[in-house]
Amino acid sequence: MKKKFMLSALVLGCGTVAFAQVTTPSPLQISGSVDTYYKYDFNKAGNIKTYFANEQNSVSLGMIDLALKKTTGKASFVGELSFGPRGQSQSIPNALGAYDETTNSFNIQNLYVNYAFSDKFNVTAGYMGTFIGYEVISPAANFNYSTSYLFGSGPFQNAGIKASYAFSDKVSLMAGLFNDWNVYQDFNGVSHIGAQLTIVPATGWTAYLNVLSGRAAGAAGTGTIFDLTTAYQITGQFKLGLNAADYTVSNDNGGYSGVALYPQYAFTPAVALGLRAEFFNYKGVGTAANASVSSFTFSGNIKSGGLTFIPEIRFDSDKDFSQGFANKNGIIGAKSASQFSLAAVYTF
Amino acid sequence: MKLISFLFLFAMGVVQVRAQEEALLPLDEKGKLIYYEVVALKDQPKDSLQLRVFNYFKGNKSLKSNSAIGDSLWVAEGKMVVDKTLLVMSHPSGEILYRFYVEVKDQKYRFWISDFNFIPYQRDRYGNFVPSTPIGTPLEKDPGKLNMSQWKEYQLLATTFAKAFAVSFKQYMANKAPITIPIPVQKVVRKNW
Repeated sequence: MKKKFMLSALVLGCGTVAFAQVTTPSPLQISGSVDTYYKYDFNKAGNIKTYFANEQNSVSLGMIDLALKKTTGKASFVGELSFGPRGQSQSIPNALGAYDETTNSFNIQNLYVNYAFSDKFNVTAGYMGTFIGYEVISPAANFNYSTSYLFGSGPFQNAGIKASYAFSDKVSLMAGLFNDWNVYQDFNGVSHIGAQLTIVPATGWTAYLNVLSGRAAGAAGTGTIFDLTTAYQITGQFKLGLNAADYTVSNDNGGYSGVALYPQYAFTPAVALGLRAEFFNYKGVGTAANASVSSFTFSGNIKSGGLTFIPEIRFDSDKDFSQGFANKNGIIGAKSASQFSLAAVYTF
Repeated sequence: MKLISFLFLFAMGVVQVRAQEEALLPLDEKGKLIYYEVVALKDQPKDSLQLRVFNYFKGNKSLKSNSAIGDSLWVAEGKMVVDKTLLVMSHPSGEILYRFYVEVKDQKYRFWISDFNFIPYQRDRYGNFVPSTPIGTPLEKDPGKLNMSQWKEYQLLATTFAKAFAVSFKQYMANKAPITIPIPVQKVVRKNW
């Protein structure tokens, strides 16, 4: 008992005193996040299934995300695993390398090694968060808790090897060879090439021009995605983000295109409001017609220490009935859906 | 054993209370947090002090964008990374940007550290901690009730940093060691003869 008491006192004391010190980077960084949410759909159905936060009228779980990073000289590694619905069955793939809602496993968010040959040139190999798009799986890095159609339709992660070179503080280029989207192993060989041009036109403004192309195992054609992701911190309070993408599978095998705008205003360092306005179009395969959806999401970010509350209200319009929204009677065929959600995300 | 435990906890408490009670930096006439000091150095002419300041900026790689205003005022920008530590767990949680000013006259100089801005870090899609915004929030700004305690920590950290920085800078300036003026390397040009 005494040992436990002493140990507790030591842990408490060291943690408090050591907080907020200027130190050199730790040899081992440990960080992560935990999130949970409540969602209420106004049609009382599980509408708006953009991957996460789907469960109706339920206090539901997101995921716990655990990341390790270590740098030794010019070499570093990142290992990041997630557990929980958002990081397991709802992410792609699970531990078996397959997408299966019923399989309970974990999801690798990042697992790569990096070597910086110089301040300007580095090479990375492994499984990495995708360089495509504005939003990511981890809710700690998104302003909105629910995710966009663009996010859900694009790649989540890419395994591969990539090299990055910074020509200056304002221009850099990444190019690499990648597996199929969201797989740990590529069964038809390393089949994709990708590149990212990063431009900093002004202080606070960064733009990423991305391309990823290749033929996935069993695919009907070669898929090519062009993506623009940019964010501009115009003032200390106002930030404007934009994501536009076009994905086409050759031989008229479908794809998608869309654009999302992200204006955000921070009233204080702890309180911010933001809107996501998205227009999205599914390209019809062959003679099939296109189908479009639009979505407006208003989110708040209220921060206290490591905790962020995200109250959110979202309106989706599905004029071509591609989403299978249910009406109040539970009948599929509603043209619109709306929901309120409240999420809590803790980062450490 | 109980006595040892009590003394240990008491000691830890004293350390924490003292840390909290440390006076924060004062505000200047513009309402900005500032560390300001005038230092007299007898028998040190202006040009000697100028050279010391020049060498200090040249040798201090943590200071960027050094610039001279006239022949007696220097301005440099720097940043310190705030590292959140809890036993073995550690990662950078933000950075505090600041400006460092030095002005010299005959036999004295003054310096001040101000324009403190805090930029929080967030983890990006690759698991790296990066600034969440390029524009910092002035450290003297009221953060609201929600982040008050954390903001106080940052203000306290800036205070501790500024005091340590000042001690280091004054030691450098007071150093009696002769300052060597770098001699430009002369090259033999054989192209034109």
